[in-house]
Amino acid sequence: MTAPAITPGEMIRAAALPHALIIGACLLGAIIIIALISLVWQPFDPNGMDLGARLIRPDLIHLFGTDSYGRDVLAQTMAAARPALFVPLASIGLAMIIGVPMGLWAALSGPWADHGLMRLSDVIFAFPALLTAMLLAASLGPGMLGAILAIGLFNIPVFARVARSAARREMQLDYVAAARALGLGRWGLAISHLLPNIADGLIVQAAIQASLALVADVGLAYIGLGVQPPHPSWGRMLADAQTLYLDAPWLVLAPGGAVLIGVLALTLLADGIRQYLSDTHQGVRK
Amino acid sequence: MSLGLRFIILLIVALGAGVHAPGKAAARDNVARLGIQLEPPGLDPTIGAAAAIREVTFHTIFEGLVRQGPKGEILPWLATDWRISPDGLSYIFNLRPGVRFHDGAPFDADAVKFSLDRARAANSKNAQRQAFSLIDDVRVIDPGQVEIILKRRFSGLLAVLSYGDAAMVAPLSAEANNTKPVGTGPFQFDSWRRGDSIHLDRAPLYWGPMPHLAGITFKVIGDSQAAYAAIESGEIDGFPAFPAPELVERLVKDPRFVVHTGPGQGKTILALNNAKAPFDNLTVRQAFSHAINRTALIEGAMFGFGAPIGSHYGPLDEGYIDLTGTYPFDLPQAKALLAKAGIQPGLSLRLALPPTTYARRSGEMIAAQLAAIGIKVRIEQLEWAVWLDQVFTRHDFDMTIVAHVEPLDYEIYGRSTYYFGYQNAHYRDLLAAVDQAVDSTTRRVGLAEIQQVLARDAVNVYLFQLPSLGVFRANLKDIWHPTPLRSLDLDRARLDDAMDRPEQAQTSGPKVTWPVGTLALGLVLAGLIFIARRQLSPRQIVDRLGILALTMLGASIAIFLLVQIAPGDPARQILGMGADIQAVDALRREMGLDQPAWHRAITWIAGMMQGDFGISYAYRVPVIDLVIERIGLSGPLALMAMVLSLGFALILALAASAWPDHLRGRIIDRLVHLISLIMVAIPNFYVGMILVLVLALQFGLVPAGGFPGWDAGMIPAMQALFLPALALAIPQAGLLARILREELRRVNASDFIRTARAKGLTRYRIMFSHALPNAGLTVLTILGLQFSYLLAGTILIENVFALPGLGRLAFQAVGQRDLPLLQSLSALLVFAVVVISFIIDLLARVIDPRLQSRQIT
Repeated sequence: MTAPAITPGEMIRAAALPHALIIGACLLGAIIIIALISLVWQPFDPNGMDLGARLIRPDLIHLFGTDSYGRDVLAQTMAAARPALFVPLASIGLAMIIGVPMGLWAALSGPWADHGLMRLSDVIFAFPALLTAMLLAASLGPGMLGAILAIGLFNIPVFARVARSAARREMQLDYVAAARALGLGRWGLAISHLLPNIADGLIVQAAIQASLALVADVGLAYIGLGVQPPHPSWGRMLADAQTLYLDAPWLVLAPGGAVLIGVLALTLLADGIRQYLSDTHQGVRK
Repeated sequence: MSLGLRFIILLIVALGAGVHAPGKAAARDNVARLGIQLEPPGLDPTIGAAAAIREVTFHTIFEGLVRQGPKGEILPWLATDWRISPDGLSYIFNLRPGVRFHDGAPFDADAVKFSLDRARAANSKNAQRQAFSLIDDVRVIDPGQVEIILKRRFSGLLAVLSYGDAAMVAPLSAEANNTKPVGTGPFQFDSWRRGDSIHLDRAPLYWGPMPHLAGITFKVIGDSQAAYAAIESGEIDGFPAFPAPELVERLVKDPRFVVHTGPGQGKTILALNNAKAPFDNLTVRQAFSHAINRTALIEGAMFGFGAPIGSHYGPLDEGYIDLTGTYPFDLPQAKALLAKAGIQPGLSLRLALPPTTYARRSGEMIAAQLAAIGIKVRIEQLEWAVWLDQVFTRHDFDMTIVAHVEPLDYEIYGRSTYYFGYQNAHYRDLLAAVDQAVDSTTRRVGLAEIQQVLARDAVNVYLFQLPSLGVFRANLKDIWHPTPLRSLDLDRARLDDAMDRPEQAQTSGPKVTWPVGTLALGLVLAGLIFIARRQLSPRQIVDRLGILALTMLGASIAIFLLVQIAPGDPARQILGMGADIQAVDALRREMGLDQPAWHRAITWIAGMMQGDFGISYAYRVPVIDLVIERIGLSGPLALMAMVLSLGFALILALAASAWPDHLRGRIIDRLVHLISLIMVAIPNFYVGMILVLVLALQFGLVPAGGFPGWDAGMIPAMQALFLPALALAIPQAGLLARILREELRRVNASDFIRTARAKGLTRYRIMFSHALPNAGLTVLTILGLQFSYLLAGTILIENVFALPGLGRLAFQAVGQRDLPLLQSLSALLVFAVVVISFIIDLLARVIDPRLQSRQIT
């Protein structure tokens, strides 16, 4: 190979990746890497209590200080990254698998199916997710599963609605009529024409919902649902800090920052993907 | 400074400036406002065992025949003196003359007989029914003298008579005591705003010295942070059972407050399931007792508050002996004992925790401490209903942490079916001997022996006595007089800076709210009907209504099934751990819980069709009343939050897309983007907490929490709702701004805008008459989705701000398995969602004429 070496910067420019996508991917990547590192190395045992070292300010040994049990906040934040990544992923995946076909079906079928599905989604949507989560946790036992199911359930109508309205918009276009004229069946139409064309919107929505799912998970942890102690979670760390942050503000810093970065990462990623997709579409058209 | 920020500050100043002066209220009335963490489910201490009922009603509204002194000694109260027959079977009480109930009914021997007969009846819902069932007969000698005849000797009778369960009630008013209590105490019931506060007034007919306070208001504040905010901002004068020991140190340093500490009423234990392996083995239980470091536990979990105990016995209880040294903290010994019992390191055990701070914090500590002897602990944080069902009723647990708050409840170790499964015939003999004790010396010897057996057998790991932490403003004097049963003394308490008003000032201003609310609702409805008539055919309207009915039916069934599947028994929840099983059954029958599930479902749905939404299990009042009270708060709150979020979002999005072609515009766009991202990324309860800290506590601009009610006037009510609405609005605004910005971009890039620009229209003209209306459709859809979320998804915010809203009501209903309430709430929410999505469809047609040609869906 005699071609001149290509710097990473040039590669990015060559691929014309939007900045949002790069930043989002980097932030998310950082969280994933931290989560993976915590599997093999931790600065301290995240559950190791030391009452002699309670509420220590951040210093060189405890970079983010210690909590009211003397546990290292950094170690806890790192270990908590794993469930924090998994819960949004699993719950949004679940919601999309159920919600998108629901929405497509509603768009393609007659008005009655449409009504029925949309009102069913009303029912799910009407009842606060937190309460559904409580009832689910009561039946299933508290833990990650309850949180995933509750957040997932709550997100089904979101995807159903987005898929439905995007599909309906798409169906007014000529190519759909053309495809129909060519004798394509309902689901054939949905899979080969509608789905690819509404995918952009769904991906964007998925990333937004994933970021909201992360926030919702924090809320669930606040009332003791979700990942059970002693395994740390960002939400419970924030909840535990809630009366102490007047005296120990660092307790909020690491988990709060982690939530913030996680949400930012997902949202930027979504923006970036969409921008990238629309750029490519325009490129194709031109 | 961005436009949005400027707008926020302007709004805050406009709303807060000068109008609100927390805690200063110069000529304040002589009413002590006290915080309580749990709202009592009812107000009758004789049919419910919740500590919250006693805290609010006993010694204030209700009194008993005898009371306990600081050391647990029995003192005269409604009985001036008593005589016990030599065989210990007959107690003759002389009653205090001239005592009247608050409604004027005389307190006499007939009232005593009625009260005790009611407590010991076969269908009694009294939690101490078992103790009262030892009474053979209550005989009226004359109006001032009554005799209690026992079936067998029972030396604990006087102690039981000093409990809230033995409060004296009047024959004519007793039935209604749960909602409208009538007693003989220094304070009488005035009003109860459910979820918010209970108000008592000084009782003019009181037999004793008049209390200094003109009244007491108990304010329900569930959240620790909100409790701190309330006391710090002067919204309340004190918190008798302050929920956050970690903040006590802060408050002690502050001269504005007085902090009282002492042993409280709860014996906190690590309960072990003695009925199954490995805890059926004494050696294992001993090992666990050796493995727990109580001093560290109290320090770590309770921030140093609480006293270690060595048996199921509190330091203030009659005949206490110190047994904390029985199995001292000793890891090598614990490991040796485990090895001796044949337990391999790595044994995994389940620790079920009820939802209290002491249990959750202790649980984390104990998991860490047991790890040191090679025991792996799996923690499960349960809600009360599940804990009661799983642990207490079905005995499905390995370990749990719970505080037993009933005084002298050592007899639970003699119950063969009690949850920790302790079986010891010798212990039951000891119990009988104590009951039969002829004099106090014999009784004390017996009590000492009981404690020793419990300690030696290491039935459970006895951890610590829950502390009693009272935080009061320094000018609330003479309120703290601890006894084994109670720490508050409200008849002697006084407020230094308050004056009695000659006449109770009418707090309720002109009641303009209801007419205004009804009028507004009517206008909206009329508008809707008008639009609907124009846009839809009658056929479509009928279809819509049919669908609404079907949706609500579906929702009802779904909720019913969900609650059916979830474990939990509302009756047990109300009566608590100490309650006798027959009392629980009696309550279940009264609630109709003995009926099969399908029967209850049909009854409920049929009732709802006739406008009868049922009776709340927990509050025992009609559901409809509870819900209507809360809508008055949650509706306006949601509306306010929506308006705020729409306002912020519009400002942000307009700022972002105002200069699409300039560099400055692109920078602002990026900035707005970042701001809206951050707004979404912070959980709203955290936004709320920070807002309370900064705006309410630091600057005192707005109230920190609570809701004065619309009766207090429009402005105070709106002020109270402002911060929570802001906290709710910020994340929603971030979301909305993002979507709006995208929409505006999309529209701006479209051909018709280019045409408009080419036609020479100004930028603002284009924005407001072309771009915004086109983006409006999307915004409307999002707003519709948001409203239902705002209406009841505000549970955490309502906690942070101590607001009695629909969200918290629903939260409570789930926690208490209050099926009728839950079902009505979900029906209401579904109704709201369906109606709102209908409204949005209609509005969409008005905005976008293209939709009118199509069939509405």
